[in-house]
Amino acid sequence: MAVTVATHERPPFWRNATVLKWAAQLVLVAFLAIVILTLRAQAATNIEDRGITFGTKWLDDPPLISIREGIDLQPDSGARALYAGIVNTLRVSISGILAATILGTIIGVARLSHNWIVNKIATVYIETIRNIPLLVQILFWLAVIQIFPALDEDSVGESLFLVTAKGVSIPWLFPAGGFYQWLVFLIIGAVVAGFVYFRLSRLKEERGGETYAFWWSVVAFVAIAVIGWFIHPVMAFWGPIFDGISSFFGAIPRVLVQILLAAVAVLAGTLWIRRFLESMRTPAGLAKLTDDDWFRMIFVGLMALIGAALFVFLPGISQTILNMVEAFFNFLGAKFSGESVAPLTYTTPAVELRGTGGFAQLSDQALVITPGFFALWVGVTLYTAAFIAEIVRGGILAVNKGQSEAGLAVGLTRAQLLRFVVLPQAFRIVLPPIGNQYLNLFKNTSLGIAVAFPDIVQVGQTIYNQTGQTFPVVILWMAFFLTGSLVLSSIVNYFNRRLKLVER
Amino acid sequence: MQIENAKDIIVCDGVKKWFGDFQALKGVTTTIKEQEVVVVIGPSGSGKSTLIRCINRLEAHQEGSIVVDGIELTNDLRNIEKIRSEVGMVFQQFNLFPHLTVMDNITLAPMWVRKKPRDEAEETGMELLERVGIPEQANKYPGQLSGGQQQRVAIARALAMRPKIMLFDEPTSALDPEMIKEVLDVMKELALSGMTMIVVTHEMGFAREVADRVLFFDYGTIVEDGTPEHFFTNPQHDRTKLFLSQIL
Ligand SMILES: Nc1ncnc2c1ncn2[C@@H]1O[C@H](COP(=O)(O)OP(=O)(O)O)[C@@H](O)[C@H]1O
Ligand SMILES: [Mg+2]
Repeated sequence: MAVTVATHERPPFWRNATVLKWAAQLVLVAFLAIVILTLRAQAATNIEDRGITFGTKWLDDPPLISIREGIDLQPDSGARALYAGIVNTLRVSISGILAATILGTIIGVARLSHNWIVNKIATVYIETIRNIPLLVQILFWLAVIQIFPALDEDSVGESLFLVTAKGVSIPWLFPAGGFYQWLVFLIIGAVVAGFVYFRLSRLKEERGGETYAFWWSVVAFVAIAVIGWFIHPVMAFWGPIFDGISSFFGAIPRVLVQILLAAVAVLAGTLWIRRFLESMRTPAGLAKLTDDDWFRMIFVGLMALIGAALFVFLPGISQTILNMVEAFFNFLGAKFSGESVAPLTYTTPAVELRGTGGFAQLSDQALVITPGFFALWVGVTLYTAAFIAEIVRGGILAVNKGQSEAGLAVGLTRAQLLRFVVLPQAFRIVLPPIGNQYLNLFKNTSLGIAVAFPDIVQVGQTIYNQTGQTFPVVILWMAFFLTGSLVLSSIVNYFNRRLKLVER
Repeated sequence: MQIENAKDIIVCDGVKKWFGDFQALKGVTTTIKEQEVVVVIGPSGSGKSTLIRCINRLEAHQEGSIVVDGIELTNDLRNIEKIRSEVGMVFQQFNLFPHLTVMDNITLAPMWVRKKPRDEAEETGMELLERVGIPEQANKYPGQLSGGQQQRVAIARALAMRPKIMLFDEPTSALDPEMIKEVLDVMKELALSGMTMIVVTHEMGFAREVADRVLFFDYGTIVEDGTPEHFFTNPQHDRTKLFLSQIL
């Protein structure tokens, strides 16, 4: 029988998948470039017509705003105002993430409880919270706090807890004069505690028996913290050291930093490509690279070059970094005075008369939770906790019942079973979706604008209302949330990769 | 084997167990002696698993008594943990810990229940892996092993606690046919070494060859109790005859 075999010719370029793929990439890049350039040109003419100029001057100019709460109530520049807004956003996000994790875990476990009442409460909580829009809930909590008594002259005085229409105030410990000197002891304590834990765990493995590694490390930390509380002035010698480091950074020429940072960018790109190629290497030599591999390498290379160019051509970046490092060590240096003052001060809530009109206000000597912070924080925390609860429940249920039985059958106690068998597996299951919820919480804090919470969005909006710099501010917002989200998700991804189960 | 005058190690007396209003065990009375190999046979749902799970108290019986190695199984947590560390169990679904290596699966309980040093636990672990024929898999994860290998690791994990009794709940039912033999061989070797074993299985060859006694279970009671020879050639009860005619 005759068999005909089509000879292998090079296909014409319009049928060549490789050529087409590369062409598609190039067309896409070209298309994006054209769109951006056209829009830019168009925007430029429009803006010119209206007499607005976009620039960076507003970052340096003093803004005409006062911020209700945070690290800087009367910022002296636009940049500083935005920074104060960012700190407020991070405050809500981080405390919200912590609280939502704890609450969500408790409710998720309660949802699995055999106790009818506990179980029902958890179920009702989850179903209610999940099915009402977050914005409505935030407004609800603001309404709740406004039910509490308003402040007037009669309310002046101290009290352990104050819940008023102007906010909530609770006793608090604030860092005081000796705090940084004591902080050194806390850091030493943490290191020693880690060392004790590590040594005793090793000892347990080597000799058997029980060494109570965890409890001894706690004892070590507490002991060092207590001793440090009384002898913290001995750390005064750090003052001159930090001053020295500060002047050292002050003396570094900017050009050097520019070159250094550019070199780091190029090096990072090169290293990435090297490692990528390394990962493609098989015992039989370099694996055949696909087009996508090439795209990725070219993309990374380009990004590294662009990064390097930015450092070279925008000296402001390097100068800012230098200034920040210098200011940081300068700040630290001033904190090591050798004075013996208590590291922390305990404060209790109070109402005082303030301002020219003598308005009754919550004294900011204790921790004051403003209505805006309260509404936003309670809102996002309860909302996210409901979703985390469902994830936790699912995670625990997903650890096979057989796993617990196997653990019990070899004689593990309930606590050991949780620690060595159930939790490590449940954690792997819940980590990625919980990371998602963290991202949602972070992004949802932008709803704080509805309750006038001065986060980056609210501060930014005030600034562009005054300066007309809408576009740059919006870009900054997006850059901030994008960066924050990427940082969060890379942390989650890192742990996720490390914990991945090995399968065949 | 010299079992006649050996000591009683498991004594069940009128054991009853309900799941809700469904009675899974309807009064099980039997005594198992040291070094005895007892194979439990019976239709699905007859209560075989429930019985052996009661013996290490993964399930709690409600009436009657179970005494294991002189300790009665009650709600006393200390007794339960003691019994569990002396009774090994092998499950149909292996139930290895997927996030731990084979070696860590084996050393977990010796290190944390028996408080053994790691070196010693790993040495024992390696001996056991050699005994079940897969020393080279020590550092792999369960997900990287075949079913038969996983079940052998599960046997090694149970043996690592140096148990006096081993319970097997259909250890080969989840395995591909070509892997059944490797697991049965390990169990045979274990039986010959003098381990007290209760084995729930459908492997009649194993029952014939290895068992000292066969218990036939149906509707939560022991219907037939005797030597394999008696069981396979001369069963007394109609239900046993019916069952045998269906599976042989
Ligand atoms: N946890 C449980 N809840 C309710 N019923 C159960 C449970 N475990 C077993 N049963 C029931 O008890 C009976 C005996 O089960 P089992 O001991 O697993 O049988 P076997 O192992 O002989 O197949 C079955 O009818 C089963 O449905
Ligand atoms: Mg069964």
